[in-house]
Amino acid sequence: MTSEPQQPDPALVAQWREVSVHYPFTTTSAVGSVDLSINRGERVLLLGPSGSGKSTLLLTLTGLVPESIPAKVDGEILLFGERVAARKPWAWAARVAQYFQDADQTLTGMRVEDEIAFALENRAIPPAVIAEKVARAMRRVGLPDAWRKRRSSTLSGGEKQLVALAATLVQEAEFFIADEPTAHLAPEAAHRLHALLTHGDPERSILIVDHRLEGLIEFIDRLIVLGRDGTIVAEGHPRIVFRERRDLLMAQGIWCPVASALDGRLEEADIAPPTAPLSIAEALAHLEPGVASPSQIAQARPAVQAFVEAYAPRVAAPSRQSPMLTQLIEADCAPSLGPVVLRHVNLSIWEGEILGILGANGAGKSTLGLCLSGLLPLKAGKRKGAPAGYAFQRPENQFTAGTVQEELLTALPDDMPAALKSNRVAEMLARWELASLESRHPFELSQGQKRRLALAALTVSDRWPLLVLDEPTAGLDAWGVARLIEQIESLHDTGRAIAVITHDLDFASRLCPRSIVVGEGGILADGPTQDLMDDAALLRRAGLVESAHRQAVRWLRRSAPC
Amino acid sequence: MLKARHPLAILFVCIVALVASILAFNALFQIALIALVCVALVAFNRTSPLVLGALMLPFALFGFGFLTTSVFFRQESDFAVKMAGEALLQSSGFSAGLVLFFRAIACGMVSAFFALTTDPGAFVRALMVSAKLPPRIGYSLFAAMQLVPDLAAEAQQMRIAHAMKAGRPPRRIPGPVQVFRLVIPLLAYAVRRAGRTAIALEARGLSPKGPRTVLNAPRFRRGDGVFVIIGLAAIGLCGVTLL
Repeated sequence: MTSEPQQPDPALVAQWREVSVHYPFTTTSAVGSVDLSINRGERVLLLGPSGSGKSTLLLTLTGLVPESIPAKVDGEILLFGERVAARKPWAWAARVAQYFQDADQTLTGMRVEDEIAFALENRAIPPAVIAEKVARAMRRVGLPDAWRKRRSSTLSGGEKQLVALAATLVQEAEFFIADEPTAHLAPEAAHRLHALLTHGDPERSILIVDHRLEGLIEFIDRLIVLGRDGTIVAEGHPRIVFRERRDLLMAQGIWCPVASALDGRLEEADIAPPTAPLSIAEALAHLEPGVASPSQIAQARPAVQAFVEAYAPRVAAPSRQSPMLTQLIEADCAPSLGPVVLRHVNLSIWEGEILGILGANGAGKSTLGLCLSGLLPLKAGKRKGAPAGYAFQRPENQFTAGTVQEELLTALPDDMPAALKSNRVAEMLARWELASLESRHPFELSQGQKRRLALAALTVSDRWPLLVLDEPTAGLDAWGVARLIEQIESLHDTGRAIAVITHDLDFASRLCPRSIVVGEGGILADGPTQDLMDDAALLRRAGLVESAHRQAVRWLRRSAPC
Repeated sequence: MLKARHPLAILFVCIVALVASILAFNALFQIALIALVCVALVAFNRTSPLVLGALMLPFALFGFGFLTTSVFFRQESDFAVKMAGEALLQSSGFSAGLVLFFRAIACGMVSAFFALTTDPGAFVRALMVSAKLPPRIGYSLFAAMQLVPDLAAEAQQMRIAHAMKAGRPPRRIPGPVQVFRLVIPLLAYAVRRAGRTAIALEARGLSPKGPRTVLNAPRFRRGDGVFVIIGLAAIGLCGVTLL
């Protein structure tokens, strides 16, 4: 018996029929088997843990996998009712716009207006029309006209991301695909980008992979969740999935909106809102004083309190009586061969402290971190105290050895006896969950594994009393971040001081009793992280957005019994 | 003013100047050519003489190598001596070396003229539009230009990481061992990056065939013709020194 060939549905823009993808030299499939379709005008969010095949699935859509990236693709993929393989990947560009995670990957170093015009030039659109569309795209994204002639290579990370977005939006394609568009953006820029993606042509279909859900999830029609094995484990409206499948998502280490955790607490207290909330405001709307009765508020307060406490650092702030570890005095900081980006910096770190270094893209956080660690010489001022170990944003930059084991061995002092060295390495491999990977090349590891190896190499010896971690959550899923927090706390327990560079305010809030805010060429503020989070003007000035859980803190204040 | 000229017009004049510099084995001609280019850059491109001096430093060192070779190792420098003999009739090793020294600077000055007056993007677009350079090669050139500063930044980060591991501050100039250790990771980065860029270009519709338009393609104007005529005449005028 043979099955009848299925007819393409005109209401669907994309369909994956029993699709699975195998990369060469791997034993398991990267994706699948997956059956999935996207309707015309639908906004779909694809979630999944690291390594679940989200990016691969997106790349199969226009045939980039397997046409440009070798892989074996089984099943059938249809775009606008036509088999994807019937055209070359470039031939789909008129109907499908693809926005990649890394702006450097999209931009080629041309001037801004040429970058934006590129896709239209490829469609042989007359230059006069292109010029008009480029001007419109620039206005829409908010790019100043003065940027037109600037080389994209001279822009900061966040600026590049916006140019890449304009270069993709200008295609005015029926189907827009975005792979982690906000991964490297500070919160304010990420909110702006989400707004641009979701407010536009209602006929346009959107498929987006992103773990930064605040400000995005409200505009999503359907959520699709891939599990660790690359198959679909949940699908439906975000409100339904985040409430009914919450435990599954958490078990898989998948990012959920902050409101989902609060919803869980309120459900346990038997006072959850009737409709599953997607924001803190929605979760607490039925509990506002004046709307809810005092008894309902009293019933909810312990649940909200417990939710808020989960965002408070578990580590206590060290007393200022503790010995000072490292100090910058009137320091001017500049990247290698670059101009001074931070002036008159005064910063002290005490023994056993976890310090947050917060700021927008391009504020100079990494430069400050390198100066703090003593790896970049100061242009002016003084640095006092012990040198620091620095975990780079891209852990690959730190690796110098051919295997994981060797990487740890070479981080130990040369004069240490060999037997002691191998015992110490074995202990670290076990502690950082790298034991089964000891003979692998560091570049072959997943992002989370690379991050763990970088930290293991820094802590295998007692050389560094201070560690500076640069954007340690980049590329990690929710499970990875939770594990990272535990690991940083355990490092703190060994007496080390840790400075964490991040623009993830939730992460800083959970980890750092004290933070500094970097911006406008200096340190804008220095104080308890929770206090800084309350300063809306400061956050706005620094290009940051308050952590979503702060709305719950304000609700607690509003609803406090007199 | 010079930046407004068509990149291919500038390229043409520069090639003629380079060919003339190579063929004319005469110190005065080389000096005249250096002075001509220098004046043009300072007067019409507002280039700082200090910047020009700094740019010429490596060419001067290169030329100095010729000069010392010619003076101290004259027997080994058959080619230079033969060339000197043909052009200058019975000239000494020093004067031959001097010509080679000025020629190196003249070639450097002409190259600097092209680099300082031509926007790389406009040049590649001009090649695609007027010289039928395939767009795939043109945009690969763009991507390669983008990669160079990024590679330098990556290398710097790796050097800092290596210094940290060695427990010392990063050296100002990396030693040969460190350079060797940087090669593989940098190569891996470049390959990964090149692959991603190729995918992004294809995703934005860059095809090996079919028509495409080019926004801001440089167009030949009357001023370009005038520039070429004046440029060639000025080079010809330098030739007076040969008489």
